[in-house]
Amino acid sequence: MDNTVVSIANLSKQFPVGGGFFTALKDVNLTLNEGGFIGLVGPSGSGKTTLLNVIGGLDSPTKGSVHVLGHSMDNTSHNERASLRRKHMGFIFQSYNLLPVYTVFENVELPLILNNVDPNEREKLVSEAIESVGLSHRRDAKPTTLSGGECQRTAIARAIVHQPSLILADEPTANLDAENSHHIMNILVELNKNLTSSFVFATHDEKIMGYLKRMVYLEDGKIVKDETIK
Amino acid sequence: MLFNIALKNLLGARLRTILNVFVTAFSFFIILFFLGMYDGMLQHAKNVTIDTEIAGGAYWHPEYDPLDPMSYEDAHSNLPDDIQALIDKKKAFPVLVSQVSIYPGGRIMPAILKGIPPDQNIVNMPTEALQGINDGTIPVLIGKGMAKDSKLKVGDSFTIRWMDSDKTYDADEGTVVYIMDTENFKLDMGHIWVPLNIAQSMLEMKEEATYVTYAKGLTDNINSKQWISRDVNYLVQDMEAIIEADKPGAQIMYMILLALAAMGIFNAQVLSIFRRGKEIGTLMALGMTRSRVVGLFTLEGGLNAVLATMMMIILFGPILWYFGVEGIPLPIDYSEMGLIMAKRLIPIYSIGLIISTMSLVSIIVLIVSYIPSRKITHMKPTDALRGKAIA
Repeated sequence: MDNTVVSIANLSKQFPVGGGFFTALKDVNLTLNEGGFIGLVGPSGSGKTTLLNVIGGLDSPTKGSVHVLGHSMDNTSHNERASLRRKHMGFIFQSYNLLPVYTVFENVELPLILNNVDPNEREKLVSEAIESVGLSHRRDAKPTTLSGGECQRTAIARAIVHQPSLILADEPTANLDAENSHHIMNILVELNKNLTSSFVFATHDEKIMGYLKRMVYLEDGKIVKDETIK
Repeated sequence: MLFNIALKNLLGARLRTILNVFVTAFSFFIILFFLGMYDGMLQHAKNVTIDTEIAGGAYWHPEYDPLDPMSYEDAHSNLPDDIQALIDKKKAFPVLVSQVSIYPGGRIMPAILKGIPPDQNIVNMPTEALQGINDGTIPVLIGKGMAKDSKLKVGDSFTIRWMDSDKTYDADEGTVVYIMDTENFKLDMGHIWVPLNIAQSMLEMKEEATYVTYAKGLTDNINSKQWISRDVNYLVQDMEAIIEADKPGAQIMYMILLALAAMGIFNAQVLSIFRRGKEIGTLMALGMTRSRVVGLFTLEGGLNAVLATMMMIILFGPILWYFGVEGIPLPIDYSEMGLIMAKRLIPIYSIGLIISTMSLVSIIVLIVSYIPSRKITHMKPTDALRGKAIA
């Protein structure tokens, strides 16, 4: 049985800059399997966030083919990609991107609302997700009253609440101190063990590299090293 | 789903929402108040005119044109039988009109003399004051405005000069027997009222009249070929025209207020899209389609209008109600300016006015919410996530 989650062949991505183009990704070939815990590692400007965005369907490839969860991302419409993200993907952002007017519970609930999940089922799933990140006591708090670690745990709960197949995390620990970074990574490792979801991180934070099962090194838009950790 | 999210966003934004909603609610209030005032003015002027002058309508001599005093000379005759029958049944009363000159304090003033039966009770005029005066002079009833202009008081005498039906000028002494306080300037300014029989005798027009005013709710079928029937709608049209002429001012105010409210909401929406770029990006990343994000922002604008309606009812409703019951005292006597205006203006808020105003404001709010929200469809999720909004 094919357990490929992401399959990328000869991917290039260019952005118009001034009168010319900036190449963010060059001939990237990559396959990610189910249950993976993979880091896209590299310095700033190496193309890891762009690669993550292309995988997440937030950006389109300029050249090459990208298949995510069996769907080609090359010729899908905005709405189809939105639907794929809504049902099968979760996102964790560096700056958390929590909606400030919502409570922890409401922020976590949002993907379920977008997926038209029944309110009773929502209550159960949100409570479980919040509990799994250890935030049950802050479920009614607004993001402005949370610490950075709590905000990121809320974002993690929001990313996993609808049990997606693929969770994409862009620098999830960049805004956190060492203690919180390790706490967050422990939660994510635990979730990876318990869920069937695959995790892909874009990071240059050395603190978290020890947790990764596979590291794909990027430099100037190219994959320079692909290392599986035993 | 969108509704719940939009409502949550609006309620969560607290101060921003309160300010937006307040501006819209205030616009609702001002628009309703001003238009209610105009409707009230119009209705009051109509009521006063009907009560004091028109009653159920009139039959005019074919030559009679109230706006042309030169027509009065020929606008008189005996009454057709069926109209006379109404008068005999006390369902109508005749009025004889003529142009005269008066000499209060030795000054000359043109005036319109109207002969009216003192015992009529079809229009609300104190004509009974003309009854039973027999001091050899002509008893005269005038309005406050006329008294002020001519500097006449009750008991003052002055010369009246007129031309009778034989084209002969004659003159006699008139005495002010009563000064009426009326809101209807048409009964007041430039008018002197005398008993009908005296007017007929002065003008050598026995049994003649210029027009006949009949009672409200008259059902008698009069089919007079000689005299022209003028119903209430016809008789109030000049007064409606005066009010209508003033309406563009109110409409300009209405448009300015509406534009202010619309700009406020438009601004808020544009600001929202700029300030909430990251939120838009997050919603897109979570799988919300662009059209749904546009729908969400438009709905937020629409809910703004709903909340504004509620705020208007709660906050400004009692004020509208108070003015609707107590009225607004007017410091100036508008009758001197040729306007029929109550001393206390009572606005009228009709259901039609409320519904049309609220519908119009709501539609405009929806449009100005949608226009800036449409820009989201051109937004790239990655740009939005970086908080980079499009211009």
